Parts: sequence; structure tokens; C-alpha cells
Amino acid sequence: MATVVLKNVKKIYNGGVLAVHDFNLSIKDKEFIVFVGPSGCGKSTTLRMVAGLEDISEGECYIDDVLVNDRPPKERGISMVFQNYALYPHLTVYENMAFPLRLLRGKEKMTNDEIYERVTDAAKILGITQYLARKPKNLSGGQRQRVAIGRAMVRPSKVFMMDEPLSNLDAKLRNQMRAEIILLRKKIDSTFIYVTHDQTEAMTLGDRIVIMKDGFIMQVGSPTEVFDRPANLFVAEFIGAPKMNTFPAKLVKEGKKYHVECFGAKLPVEGEKADELEAAGIDTMEVTLGVRPEHMAFSEKEAAGMFPCEIAVNEMMGSEVHLHVNTLDNPDKPTSLIVRIPTVGLTTEQRNNLVAGTKIYIGFEGKVMHFFHPLAIQDKIVQAVAARKEKGVSINTIAKIDELGEDKARSYAAELIEKGWIVERKERYVATPEGKIEAERIKDTNLLYGPGEEAAASQANV
Amino acid sequence: MAENKQNREPSKMEALEAENEKKGMGLKARRRVANIISYVVLTIISIVWLAPFVFLIFQSFETVSTGWSARVWPTKWGFDNYVYLFSANANFNRWYFNTFIIALFCCIGQTLMQIAMAYVLSRFRFKMRKPLMNFMLILGMFPGFLTMIILYTVLKDLGMTGANAVPGLIIVSIASSGMGYYVIKGFFDTVSKSLDEAAMIDGATRAQVFVKVILPLTKPIIIYAILTSFMAPWGDFIFASYIAFGNPAGYNVAVGLYEWLGTEQISYHYTHFCAGGVVVSIPVIVLFLMLQRYYVEGVTGGAVKG
Repeated sequence: MATVVLKNVKKIYNGGVLAVHDFNLSIKDKEFIVFVGPSGCGKSTTLRMVAGLEDISEGECYIDDVLVNDRPPKERGISMVFQNYALYPHLTVYENMAFPLRLLRGKEKMTNDEIYERVTDAAKILGITQYLARKPKNLSGGQRQRVAIGRAMVRPSKVFMMDEPLSNLDAKLRNQMRAEIILLRKKIDSTFIYVTHDQTEAMTLGDRIVIMKDGFIMQVGSPTEVFDRPANLFVAEFIGAPKMNTFPAKLVKEGKKYHVECFGAKLPVEGEKADELEAAGIDTMEVTLGVRPEHMAFSEKEAAGMFPCEIAVNEMMGSEVHLHVNTLDNPDKPTSLIVRIPTVGLTTEQRNNLVAGTKIYIGFEGKVMHFFHPLAIQDKIVQAVAARKEKGVSINTIAKIDELGEDKARSYAAELIEKGWIVERKERYVATPEGKIEAERIKDTNLLYGPGEEAAASQANV
Repeated sequence: MAENKQNREPSKMEALEAENEKKGMGLKARRRVANIISYVVLTIISIVWLAPFVFLIFQSFETVSTGWSARVWPTKWGFDNYVYLFSANANFNRWYFNTFIIALFCCIGQTLMQIAMAYVLSRFRFKMRKPLMNFMLILGMFPGFLTMIILYTVLKDLGMTGANAVPGLIIVSIASSGMGYYVIKGFFDTVSKSLDEAAMIDGATRAQVFVKVILPLTKPIIIYAILTSFMAPWGDFIFASYIAFGNPAGYNVAVGLYEWLGTEQISYHYTHFCAGGVVVSIPVIVLFLMLQRYYVEGVTGGAVKG
């Protein structure tokens, strides 16, 4: 049982690639914290820094108020489950689980009987008693994962870490193991750090979720907080499946009342949301509006506060229907939206009518709206650069953003380079098969790189 | 143009006829012909390759030593040559013992050096790692005997030549053995690094990771290293011959046996030489047969596991 504190932790790889920027987090005792984000966002690197498998380039890491930066993994009092299980193939399941116990020395040294007791106890909890004599190669993926968890469990540790433990399992087994981890957590009652790229795992397991992107923390909060009040557009789109619909709209203030104009419709913003806007002193402005698919209502007939759409794709999921619709306000450039409708409220006739090509009306209430500052062209460029963090973006790619053209793209890029938002490099860093980072000369000298932190900040939730 | 066309027509026709002929022969028949040709070639190669061994074995049972003869079948069969080899008159015992000692120490020393080198280069990341590997690759391209003269001088100063050649030979072979790390490193590279990490989290030190996790998983390649480092000294001639520098007490079997083929001794020792050749190959054959399974796994393992 322990607290974990990360203060201004940075990870800079050889060659200057910044994998984790200024990571600040305080994990409470017995808390289950989940690092979530797309691949390459630095979540595993952060975990590995806490575990001692990666050096911390800058900053401090404390476990139970002890600075552990320079301590080897075995002195940090941690146990870890790896994505690929990392079971020792030459040892039986029993020996795999007993391995960490046999390495204990001094006061902690255990007798064979004690080891046997601990291993069999853990095996009972995980339901793998009958496999103890087997070698890992004779186990299925789920069983191997259980053994890996068992090996981590038997060792007396302060922090229990899991690095994408369910990623190698099939969907059904993943759901089952997810539930088992929740139960296990109650039994172990330790501080947990869990890394995943799957937002469902993050939402279901975590007491708090740390959402990361490009080495930055985007938001830290409970599952409800990050779902209901996403800090920025990235979090809004990352959390929730299908992802939140985002589109340009105009927030209008008339007297003390607010409404939103989008797709030719006028949708009132009332209640709590309006009070919040009022309190923040928001006036009429262009915004990026976010509405979750499950918060959109549909009607077959025209109604006030609704706008017309045409169904493009109908995805029948059984308990619900996902309708991919195109708005009809601008036939040349329709906006794609996803609407999630529970089938339980639909009549058979309605279900049969929801086919591609059908015209329907979509609307949503003010309380489900999320407002974000719209993206300026500069932000879009920075975002594009950040999205291709390792590979860089050429001027030609930037020229295609909002059909800027090469000249404008160059002048925008020059401005952004001047501001230090993005950088121009002549070398890029590539990982060799051995896991080493090496510099590679770039032929196209116009490649632009950058962290993109300002872009993320500029989309902050209003 | 017309001429050209006429010229081209017959060649097309010829090609078609050749095609038909081939088709007419049938796939089975063609395969049979190809097989016959390859077997004949392989048999000839095998005879050329095996003949000296057969010759050596038969001659080792010849009791009447007449010097070199083209005869394969012994005139009189017996074990006299083998008895002589291990008698007090012959130096063979000494040479055999020398070789065995060299092989044993080389085997231990070289294996340890090579696996240590391979582990470090496979698992540790340090500055100059790549340049070091490239440097060793280039260094390995120079034939070993280029260093003969300087090595002899050094060993002579250390008093490790002539009758004391054995420790000298051991030191020379172990000292350069680290450069033969390639195959072993390739095998170590196939063991997932997350096993090292898991073991370190479980509380193991680097040394424990190596002994408890890496070594058991790379048994085939360790055995390959043991085999190759044991076998090499049995056939070593150049180094062994000049470091012993004409002193029979410092010979290994290869040098000693070669001495018996000198013009003055061949007539008496020729059949002893044949018996010696057979005796020399026995330990290597036995070792190889015992560990053959691992040897094959070790050589091919790194390649296919990728």
C-alpha cells in the first residue's frame, strides 16, 4: 500500500525525442489509476519510469515518499504484469509464480513451505491450481495472463502495475478478465497503475483516469468527470464509443438567453449549461460543438429544434442502432454525424424504415452540448504536425489543410516556427529493430515537427 | 525485312519443336533423369570425401609397417598400432594429454568469454557499442596467423613456448575468443527483453537474470559454443606447431602426428599415424553425437526464431 507521486517527470530519448513532457501526478494510497491514450502517447513509458525499467530524464518519482529515481526495480517494491505476459518458458507455472519469492533475501527470505502456501493461495484465487505443473506454452492466452497476474500477486509489493494486460486476448476473454481484475483489485487492495489504450477498460476499471496524448496529460479525473466534462476536444472524442460528434456551430447570446445555430436549425441552450456560459461571461462566438451520439434524438417528421439528415449507413448492433447520417444543409459539403438509438424504444416499422437514403430529423438538448473553441488554421497545422510526431509533416501536406495552397502554407509554417510551436528538422529519429533510436537524414528539408501542446490547450472546453 | 522474317521463322519453329520434345518426355521421366544425374554426382563426391577416412581406418589395423603404401586392405590385421600409441615408447600419450588439456581449458574459457560478450552486446546499450561490433567484425577478417610472430615473441618472453607450449596455446585461444560472439548474440537477441525486465521486477540482479533466465533458455547455443570451442584445439596445427617449436613435449596430437610423417620416420610410424588419426577423432565424434541435437538447434535457432 503506497502513494506514488510524479513531479515534473520528463522522458527524453537519445537524440532529443521528448516522449513524456512534464508529468505531474499524485496517486493516492490504494487508488486504481489508469493511464489511457492512443499509441505513442507516453503512457507505457511513464509506467516504465515508475517501475524503474526506463531512466527518468528529468523530474522526481516518489513511492511512499521515498525518492526512487535511482533505485533499481527490485528496490521499489513494485510488481508488474506485462502485455506479453513475460512468463519464463523454461519454468512450470508453479516455478514461474515462485520465482520472485525464491529471490527474496535476508529477513524476507521464505522457506519452501511458505512459498508453496503463497503460490497455491494465489493460484486458488485465480483458478489456476490445476495448471501449476504445466509449462506456459501449454496454456491458453487467458490462463497465461492469470499466471502473470499470479506471479505479480505473490510478491509482497506496494504498487501493482499492469501494462496493457488484456491487449493480447480476444474480445470475449478480455471482458471476462476485466471483470476478474475488478474482483482481484478488491482482494489485493493495493495501489494500482494500469495502462491501456482502450477507453472502455479505463472507464470500467479506474478510480481516476489519466488521459494522455503526445506525452502530455490531457485530463485527470474520475470516469464520470472525463465523460461529462471533457477538458478538451481530444478527451471529448477519445472517451466514449462511438466517439462524440464535433462540428462547427455558432453560439448566440440574445439578452440573457443562449442558443446554438447549426445546420440551419436554432437550438436553445437552457438550464445549468446556460448558467455556466453566463457565469463564464461567454458572448456570441463561433464554437466547435460536441454532442455524444447517444444524446442525439431523432424524429421521422419535421419538428422544431431539429435539422434534416439523410441516413448513409445503418449499423444494427442488436440492443442499439448506430446511424451514420449526413446533414442536408450544405449538399456540397455534408457533415457526417453518428446517432445512437436504443432499439428497445423503436417499433418494428421504425426499425425497418431506418435504412440508407431515408430522410430523418436530428436534434439535441442544450444540457448535452459541449462547447469548444473552434480550431484556427494555425491550430489545425499544429495538430497535423503533432499527429505525425515521429514522421513530420511536409509543406505539401499543410497546403492541403483547408486548401491553403503552398505559399500560404509556407507563410503559416514560418509564423509557427517563429513562435516555436513547431520546428523544422533535417534529421528524424527512427527506432531500429533492436529498440535503439537512431538519427536518419531527411531528404525533404521542409519536414516540420513539434509537440503540439498549444494546439491542445487552445481547444480547451469553454 | 523480308529476309529477317524468313530468318526468324525457323528459330520459332525450332523452339516449338524443342518444347514439344520436352513435353513428350513427361515430367516423371525428366525428374528421374535429374535424380540419376544428381545421385551419380553426389556418390562421386562422397567417395572422394570418404576414401581417405576409410583408407586411414583400414591402415590403422595393418601390423606390418612398410611406410606409405597404396594398399587399402591390410596384409596382416591386428591392434599393434593402437597398443604402440599408448605404450611408453611413443610420445603419443603426452600429445594426447596436451591436446585434451588445451581443449578442456579452451572449452571452459572460450565459452565463458563468448557468452559474456554476447550477453553484454545483446542486452546492454552503451556508447560505442556499434563501433565496437564493427571493429571486431573487421578485425576478424584478418587471418589469425598474421599475429604469429608477435605472439611467439610475447609467449617466449613469458616462457610459454617449447615444452611449456600448452598454457601459451590456452591463453592465445581464450584471449581472442570474445570475437566469436556473433552466433550466440543472435540467439540471445531472440529471447524477449521483457523476460529480463520481468525478472528484474521480480527482484533479480543482472547476474541472476543471466543465470536463471537467459542461460536456461539458450541452452542449445551454449552447447554449440562448448562443442565448437572443444573441437577447435583438436585440429589446431599452425599455432601449436610454432609455439612448441620442435620440442615434442609441447606438441599437440596434430603436430606430433605430422612429425611421424617426416621422411625419416614415415617408414616406421606410418601405420601408427593412421591409428593416431582414428584415436584423435573418437572424443570429438562421441561429443558431437551426444550433443548433436543441440548443435543443430543452436546453429539454426537464431535464424528461424527471428
